[in-house]
Amino acid sequence: MSIHTEAIRSFFNAYAELLDQEKFEAWTELFETQDCTYRVLSRENQDLGLPLPIMGCYTHGMVRDRVAMLAKGVLTYRRDRLLRQVTNVQCQPLSESMVQARANLVVYQSSEEGVSRLYMVARYRAVLRLSGENWRIKSMDVVVDSFGIDTMLAVPL
Amino acid sequence: MNKGMAQEPHAWPTSDFSRVPYAVFTDADIYQLENERIFRGPVWNYLCHEVELPEVGSFVTNWIGDTQVVVTRSEDQGFHAFENSCAHRGAQLVTAVRGRAQSLTCPYHLWSYSLKGELMGVPLLKGMKGKGGMPPSFQKSDHGLNVLQVQSHEGLIFGSFHATPPDLKAFLGPHSLSQIERLLVQRKPKVLGYLRQRIPGNWKLYNENVRDPYHGSLLHQFQVSFGLQQPTMQGGIKVDADLKNTWNHSILSATDKDNQALVAQAFEGTGKFNPDMKMADPALIHVPLDLGDGYKTTILSIFPTLVIAQVDNTYAIRHLRPKGPDEVELHITYLGFESDTAEQTHDKMLTANFIGPSGYISLEDGEALRLVQQGIRHRRPGGHEVLEMGGVGPVQDTDYLSQEISIRGFWSFYHRIMGLGGAQAEGKSA
Repeated sequence: MSIHTEAIRSFFNAYAELLDQEKFEAWTELFETQDCTYRVLSRENQDLGLPLPIMGCYTHGMVRDRVAMLAKGVLTYRRDRLLRQVTNVQCQPLSESMVQARANLVVYQSSEEGVSRLYMVARYRAVLRLSGENWRIKSMDVVVDSFGIDTMLAVPL
Repeated sequence: MNKGMAQEPHAWPTSDFSRVPYAVFTDADIYQLENERIFRGPVWNYLCHEVELPEVGSFVTNWIGDTQVVVTRSEDQGFHAFENSCAHRGAQLVTAVRGRAQSLTCPYHLWSYSLKGELMGVPLLKGMKGKGGMPPSFQKSDHGLNVLQVQSHEGLIFGSFHATPPDLKAFLGPHSLSQIERLLVQRKPKVLGYLRQRIPGNWKLYNENVRDPYHGSLLHQFQVSFGLQQPTMQGGIKVDADLKNTWNHSILSATDKDNQALVAQAFEGTGKFNPDMKMADPALIHVPLDLGDGYKTTILSIFPTLVIAQVDNTYAIRHLRPKGPDEVELHITYLGFESDTAEQTHDKMLTANFIGPSGYISLEDGEALRLVQQGIRHRRPGGHEVLEMGGVGPVQDTDYLSQEISIRGFWSFYHRIMGLGGAQAEGKSA
């Protein structure tokens, strides 16, 4: 286990909680502002070596736009409550201040009338950098096993 | 359908199909009939694009209605399609979505088939040590897979279960032929990836959605906020002679930017118009249209389940795979072109954010369909959709976008091919 594993586990917990609570702006602050990417990829395309993402943000501005469309009411989307469970967090140091992190993700969706269903099964593949005392996302790929997506994927994973 | 049922709640009260009984979206008997009369009827069903079968032995699977089919390229470079079910005891033959094989072998008793679906090998055909085996009357040539008729047009491969399907080009119609040329022929396409959406709505709701320019600039606020599509845009629809296939298009002109007052007027009272919205990084809305012919959105909808769409600088083949009356898989083949530069490919990764299950535009269609299916599931029996936007009466081409006329064209053809009673189908008005 890397010396950073505990810290990275805490990072993913915070990441998931910000999204679960729809604190989208705070979520964008987990990304490096200069150079960052965020992609949701289907396992099908990954296995075929095809480049198309389901969702792809290649700058910090694009990450902010993704959630601004939700926060500002531009998009009409399914307003279910989402709950993310992040498990099997592992990390490998790339340098003094950089790690490659992996984790599993399960997301449940709960309706306005209190009915919950499994929504998404996915894996995180991230490169994180320690900036002062905080870990920041340099790149985050979310590889989705459940790529036959139920209705839509509006809120980032 | 028996005659009694055709009255209530399945009645079609108007001959111009401006009323559509909600029962067609929810009734299991109707769905069953669609599998027989449409998907196994005199139509051409989309199978795949030729580039997905690059080599001898390449295969892909697809769905026609409820039936899974395998599509192959054989040794003589021909394309073939058959039901994915062994001729022996019916097991699913191919489990991979796509792949490459010299022959196809059933996992159960190892019966093997050629790439054309002919039965080639039966283990223990003569039994063992003179005992068992098939009777002398058994002929392998009698036990091939259930094959479809297959034809292709400019790389698009279609299959039909019907004994006497219509002429493919006539079935596609002139607008389809010219749009296929424009989108898929003048540059050689390549697959950049697939997207799948499981929408809890009837497959015909999506056919309505793509024939409905009325919703384009209302539901899709992203398009309006960032000038991709606005109610003030030029555009229109063209329908083919039997009204089943539609081409709708919009053109963005320089004057649209000056029409904000008109746009605001169109949205009056909705609280949805947000002209001050800015993007932190608008790179994706500034990707140039690489066809250079000015069309901002062109949607070609081909009965029963194919859509070839250009939305801004995205090019995609959308295919509907019904999963019962209340669910459909929307399967998207996202295209680039062999001639694309690295920059153009990168641009297509950017603009992919418009479409698919996470598309700033398309994700909302999934939600709209879900909401309709939710809304009609247990509505008072006998209800109808109201399709009057753009005018009632005969279906015709238009040069305006505030309309639902081509949806009525879809229903006219649907009603006819399904052999439903209660309405007089009309031809296209001149």
